Amino acid sequence: MSVLILDIVTTAAILFTVATGLMIILGVMKLINFAHGAFLTIGGYAAYITTLAGWSPWLAIPFAALVGLVLGLVVEIFIVRPLYSRPLDAILATWGLGIIIGQLITIAFGREVQFAEPPVSGAVEFLGLSYSTYRLLLVMVALIVGAGLTGLLYFTRFGLNARAVIMNEDLARGLGIDSTKVRLATFGLGAALASMAGALITPLISVDPNLGLPWLVNSFMLVLTSGVSIPGLLIVSLLLGGAQVVVSTYLSPIIGGLTIVVLAALILRIRPQGIGWGGS
Amino acid sequence: MMLHIKLRVLSGAAALGLALAQPAAAADTLKIGVPVGLSGANSVVAPSVVQAAELAVSEINAGGGVLSKQLELVVADDGSGAQGAQKAFDSLVFQKEVDVLISMETSAARNAGLPIVNRGKVPYIYTSFYEGRSCSPWMYVNAWVPEQQVAPIVDHFMSSEGAKSFFLIGSDYAFGRGMLEFTKKYIETKGGTVLGEEYLPMDGTDWTAIISKLKAAGPDAIITSTAGGAPNVTLTKQLRAAGVSIPYGNLAVDEGTARGMGADAAGIYISASYITGIDSEENKKFLAAMEKHFGGDLKTPNDLSVPQYEAVYLYKAAVEKAGSADPEKVIAALDEVSFKGPRGEISMNKQRHAPLTMYLAQVQADGSVKLINSFKDVDPGEQCPNL
Repeated sequence: MSVLILDIVTTAAILFTVATGLMIILGVMKLINFAHGAFLTIGGYAAYITTLAGWSPWLAIPFAALVGLVLGLVVEIFIVRPLYSRPLDAILATWGLGIIIGQLITIAFGREVQFAEPPVSGAVEFLGLSYSTYRLLLVMVALIVGAGLTGLLYFTRFGLNARAVIMNEDLARGLGIDSTKVRLATFGLGAALASMAGALITPLISVDPNLGLPWLVNSFMLVLTSGVSIPGLLIVSLLLGGAQVVVSTYLSPIIGGLTIVVLAALILRIRPQGIGWGGS
Repeated sequence: MMLHIKLRVLSGAAALGLALAQPAAAADTLKIGVPVGLSGANSVVAPSVVQAAELAVSEINAGGGVLSKQLELVVADDGSGAQGAQKAFDSLVFQKEVDVLISMETSAARNAGLPIVNRGKVPYIYTSFYEGRSCSPWMYVNAWVPEQQVAPIVDHFMSSEGAKSFFLIGSDYAFGRGMLEFTKKYIETKGGTVLGEEYLPMDGTDWTAIISKLKAAGPDAIITSTAGGAPNVTLTKQLRAAGVSIPYGNLAVDEGTARGMGADAAGIYISASYITGIDSEENKKFLAAMEKHFGGDLKTPNDLSVPQYEAVYLYKAAVEKAGSADPEKVIAALDEVSFKGPRGEISMNKQRHAPLTMYLAQVQADGSVKLINSFKDVDPGEQCPNL
């Protein structure tokens, strides 16, 4: 039973970490970033490069975030910004961008599976159980990311501006907030979070050009049901991630793989605005 | 602009002329069609298979060919799947009019290609290990089936590691399920028990629940059969991250992937009909020839590429025995010939399949693969009793 609880909590932590980047961008920019999966992949390859360079595996995390940030800023300026007034086209553009990034990675590194050194390995005694050290570590990471983002949104000038843009962009601009800058910073932050998440999950998965793809759909579903708020995302990660673990354990892992998508569709049918309080 | 177009038409006509001129010369060549997955799931391994075929062809041609005819390779991409295979087989059999098909392919591609082979009446040597029991009057197989691969691992776990209870994990597709269903039956006939048999979809990455079930069941040993590449790696990483250290047999990992996985792969048992460390004259000669022929572009020879190399020689032997490349005579002769290659003496005389020497090896901490035991001429069992 306690294994089940640990499985649920760690699965939720992974889902939360993976989905935050997508949520930040959707919340502020009203843009569904379909290149999210590609940014996860980039994080995985950043971890691989860290291993190639012989650096400490811990460095993979900041390095991936930095690569994601730079790339996010460039993408925002050259691809997303010219399409501000055409939101649907902007979504399509991120879709295309995801494909392009995937192909560029294939050209640079090949189709095959690559290996990145994990920062820790093996299991640890926890509550009288032997459990994966790294998964427990990811729970800490998820809490830090959640707390950091909350702090950023509620206790900084950027956060204030971002919240103003979320609530009413025209009014915020009228009050002298440079919404272009807020959008730029948001996209950079979202891409950095996604890329960092990619590096964080590599010790549990394989690094290949399609690394991010399976995570994109689940992230998307979680973000939509979360009502685009940090506590909301935390709750749906626990709820839907927990349901996935329970179904996989007691029914079948094959059906477990569908749980998040099916439950998210049901939740959205009943509450189109998601479960959270943050959304409009 | 006009001139440019004219030139193109001219060069097109020239190419056509060349193409028309070819059949005249074709009498002196035997064409080997190689439909193979240069793109898609098999794209990682396909280049090594093509290289092995190229070496065999160039060696045979240098030695005077087959019945004084030169061999010619015609490679076609089948996209690793059924749709691509239909196109590839169709064009090889009916347009290129190859004399024989020799290739490693996914089961889906093979099943899609077989009706075309039967219609075109072309001998086909299938060189990939697979789940078994695929039969056609026009097909021979020189790679392993579950009967040959599973026994070495299970027997070793039971006798040397004292394992009585097993846990099986796989990817949810024909090969993954086929292998583990056979493994389960085999363990039970040997008096062992299977505590659990779990599958994840091919693109699944989260093995959390399955690993927790495994730990709760507390088996003596674990055997996995996932799709190659990513699922294999994610499962191994997550098993190791969860601290699973019981004997671990992997039916789907090749030597190269195991090497790349680093510390996580240490201790994994693999069972194959070819490993690079086979200590024989033929294998050393083969490895040296590959190295010389391809230099820096060499793809490491493996359990899929070596059967391809040997199959070209088996075809040569069959044509020479039959005294012609006539398809029906070649099919009859393929049953009787043998070739001593890197994997030893190969003869496809057991219901279209080949008894093979199987090697049980264990991945070491430094990534090398250590030979634990070899099992001589393991029988493929009942595969195609009606042929």
